Amino acid sequence: MSQKRIAKELAELTESPPEGITVELADEANLYEWKVYMDGPEGSPYQKGKFLVKLSLPTGYPFKPPTVSFATRIYHPNITNDEKGSMCLGMLRADEWKPSSKISAVLQFARQLLSEPMPDDAIEGRIADQYNNDNNRYREIAREWTRKHAMAE
Amino acid sequence: MMDLQEFLALDADCDTEDQVDLRALEFVSSYDSHLMCPICHCPFVQPVRLQCDHVFCEKCLRSAITTFRSAESDEFPCPSCRTPTSQVSMSVPRLLINMCDEIQVRCPLAGEGCQELIPRGHIQAHVDKYCGYQLVPCPDESCDKKTRRKDLQAENRCRHSYCRCSRCEEDVMEQDYEEHDKELCPSLETTCTGCGTSVLQRTLETHIEACPEVVSSCAASKYGCPTKIRRAEIATHEQQCPLVAIGPYFEAQNTRLNSLELTMRHLQQRNEIFEDGMANIRTTLVESSRIGDRNGTDFADETEESADRTSNVFSSNATTYLLSLHESLREEVSQMSHALTDLDARASMTIMNECLRIKEDMAHTNAAVNSIRMQVQWLMNPRLHNGTRAGGVRPNASTGNESRSQLASAPGPGNVAGPSLGPLRPRRPSDSGREGTKL
Repeated sequence: MSQKRIAKELAELTESPPEGITVELADEANLYEWKVYMDGPEGSPYQKGKFLVKLSLPTGYPFKPPTVSFATRIYHPNITNDEKGSMCLGMLRADEWKPSSKISAVLQFARQLLSEPMPDDAIEGRIADQYNNDNNRYREIAREWTRKHAMAE
Repeated sequence: MMDLQEFLALDADCDTEDQVDLRALEFVSSYDSHLMCPICHCPFVQPVRLQCDHVFCEKCLRSAITTFRSAESDEFPCPSCRTPTSQVSMSVPRLLINMCDEIQVRCPLAGEGCQELIPRGHIQAHVDKYCGYQLVPCPDESCDKKTRRKDLQAENRCRHSYCRCSRCEEDVMEQDYEEHDKELCPSLETTCTGCGTSVLQRTLETHIEACPEVVSSCAASKYGCPTKIRRAEIATHEQQCPLVAIGPYFEAQNTRLNSLELTMRHLQQRNEIFEDGMANIRTTLVESSRIGDRNGTDFADETEESADRTSNVFSSNATTYLLSLHESLREEVSQMSHALTDLDARASMTIMNECLRIKEDMAHTNAAVNSIRMQVQWLMNPRLHNGTRAGGVRPNASTGNESRSQLASAPGPGNVAGPSLGPLRPRRPSDSGREGTKL
């Protein structure tokens, strides 16, 4: 069951990818680990950056939520500021996940979060404070990080 | 409507072997996304409905219920809207089922050669009864093989016996004979695409390898030469092709690169080993320096001691280990002696500075004492004169004593007051007053 649905969603996403998102399998033989390349949304400090996002699907998918993590370092209130880059999406929490949610929706939501961070639901409190009180500085650092980590020379 | 227990108990009637898996079918036409089960993302298969009016495949809902149902209550959240649900309705609008069954799909035996497109609702019947590519048991009951329905033909007899091909002398099953005779037999003649001569199918491959008319690529194609011409001309091209000329050089470079990569990997491994060793040494050093710090100030002695200790710890290890340890310890000792001399120099500097200052102070004080002595002498002079004038009463010696004790006490306040003479002046009248009363 899970494999068929995942294959279907993968086919859909590769055929008509949402704006700024490209998807491929990390390993052709494994449907459950995806590599997603996400372009920083226009107008956000992540603009022009290309972020590698790892999406891993549990075997219980679609009854269990997928997990999304940024392999590219990113300065963002809702993404942990370490090598793991774990992302905190409300819809991905086990008690809020719905089997009818699609991966495409998850990815689009994640990209949306780049242009509009949710400081009230932050995982990095320090960055959230900065986002609220010193937005210019936040944008500056985020741009700097994007330049440093998310742009290929 | 039925509750969850009843619904789950219905499990038995689906999932038999021969059933076509409707979710694995290739849908030819696109279909409305509303006809798609939100769980398996296929058009609904045996849809069922919940109280909240959301529809799912029966099978999908069953796995959703078993995943989400909490142990204590007899409810589960709807997979679409999370409404707590305890009832499942098996009746969905006929319209929905019809629309799902109308979607065109490719026959699941398309891989075998069936080209038919059929509405999904009829696919089971097609596979079971009509599809020519479906394998059916051989009509001969003594034969346990299967044959494709279309190969059965009218006579309906077993076609699994072998017969010999007249050309290649190979045993071929009767049902495959026609295909073998027309296409596959290695002794069939076929024409080479390059030179047009007819060759046997079995020798075609070797012919193509050597045929002068077949288009082939330059020997330097792996180095990027894009030339693709007839084999007859390739020799002349290869004589001029610069990439062919440079080929051996590339080859040599390649082997060199490979060997370099190999050595690099070796070195990397060695480096890792060394780094591990270094880390070990560092931890022991930190330990020993901690012991040294605790014990006191004689750094050199301490490190010597800790060196002994660490060497005891590592006595089992290789001598190189000890040597490097020794080396780093020596370095540490020399660093410490540097630090010591540095400290020494700094301390002597400060002492010297302090000494100078104090000397200066002393000179000031001396000058002050001197001036006070002068003043006292000057003050004493008239009194001494007075004393000698009233000399009948008092002996000379006592006045001498008095003046001497005055002299001795004078530097006392002078020292406290420092070089300034200010506080001395108001003292004089009281002093003289006291002197007066004494006298």
